[in-house]
Amino acid sequence: MAKLEGENDGELRARLARLSQSLEAQAKSGRQGNASERGGTGSNAGLAWSLGVRVMSEFVAAIIVGGVIGWAIDNWLHSGPWGLVVFLMLGMAAGFWNIYRIAATPEPPAQGDSQ
Amino acid sequence: MAAQEQVLDPVHQFSINRIIHIDLNGIDASFTNASLYMIIVIALISLLMIAGTSGRALVPGRIQSLAEMAYEFTANMVRTTAGTAGMRFFPFIFSIFMFVLVSNLLGLLPYTFTVTSQIVVTFGLAATVMLLVILFGFYKHGVHFLKLFVPSGVPLPILIILVPIEIISFVSRVISLSVRLFANMLAGHITLQVFGFFMLALLGGGVWALLAPLPLLAAIAMFALELLVACLQAYVFAVLTSVYLNDALHPGH
Repeated sequence: MAKLEGENDGELRARLARLSQSLEAQAKSGRQGNASERGGTGSNAGLAWSLGVRVMSEFVAAIIVGGVIGWAIDNWLHSGPWGLVVFLMLGMAAGFWNIYRIAATPEPPAQGDSQ
Repeated sequence: MAAQEQVLDPVHQFSINRIIHIDLNGIDASFTNASLYMIIVIALISLLMIAGTSGRALVPGRIQSLAEMAYEFTANMVRTTAGTAGMRFFPFIFSIFMFVLVSNLLGLLPYTFTVTSQIVVTFGLAATVMLLVILFGFYKHGVHFLKLFVPSGVPLPILIILVPIEIISFVSRVISLSVRLFANMLAGHITLQVFGFFMLALLGGGVWALLAPLPLLAAIAMFALELLVACLQAYVFAVLTSVYLNDALHPGH
């Protein structure tokens, strides 16, 4: 480091390029390794807890939203219980759909640039 | 022992008290203890980031490495969930993550107020996220953003059922995002308080005082779990924020 001034620009640039290259490589390997590393034995219970809470909340939330939409439609159109019935069903389906999506893609795609 | 006279009131800690009365044309905009703790949280985050980035030492000190860790953790999370294109939302996601994390952790200190245990606050955060998703989606893709609700390659009769389901599922994200954080914080704090009260009640109950260490142990274990939950819920909130923003970047999966 001390003889940094002595070096010419070309050498310095080459060194910088090498440095950024190795940094990039490290970041890439770190990105892949982290996912398995973070789910170590200590945090397993916590991860399971948060996954369980997530599944429950997404299921319940979809039913609530369906129920509120159905209730609002009934209030608006005076359509008896039918809006509530239909939209509660749809809400339940949406809840299962949410759960399916959580189960089907436990890890979202590594690079978001795909469709 | 004063435990006998105490009344078990585990939700008292969530009550909001006005500190300075402010009335804007009948709208109660008072400065409350919730506002105070929000300001404390933001001050703590600002202090951490300013102190952490002012040194710029090659070998980071404690505060600098804390700030760098927070940055790298969030940046990696955004890159893995929303791709490199999602990094344009990094300031937003980082702000939300730090706000939720610090207010969760601050709330675990005794005698403090937990901002994220108020459904208004978490709903406000979740609504901001979804509003950003919708606005950015329409800004970037126009009407094509609505393809988010229409899965490709599905025949028309099924679409009639599937599109309402997709819309309900989209709207339910606001509720699940806000209720999850709120319920976790509320339940954790109530449980801690109840266990603490059990210990006090047992201590005041004559020979039952021998059993008092049991709720103490449970409270200690619960506190460790709460520490984990506080961090995990902030992480989950931030991950889901970036997942939803990824939907706005690339609708029509």
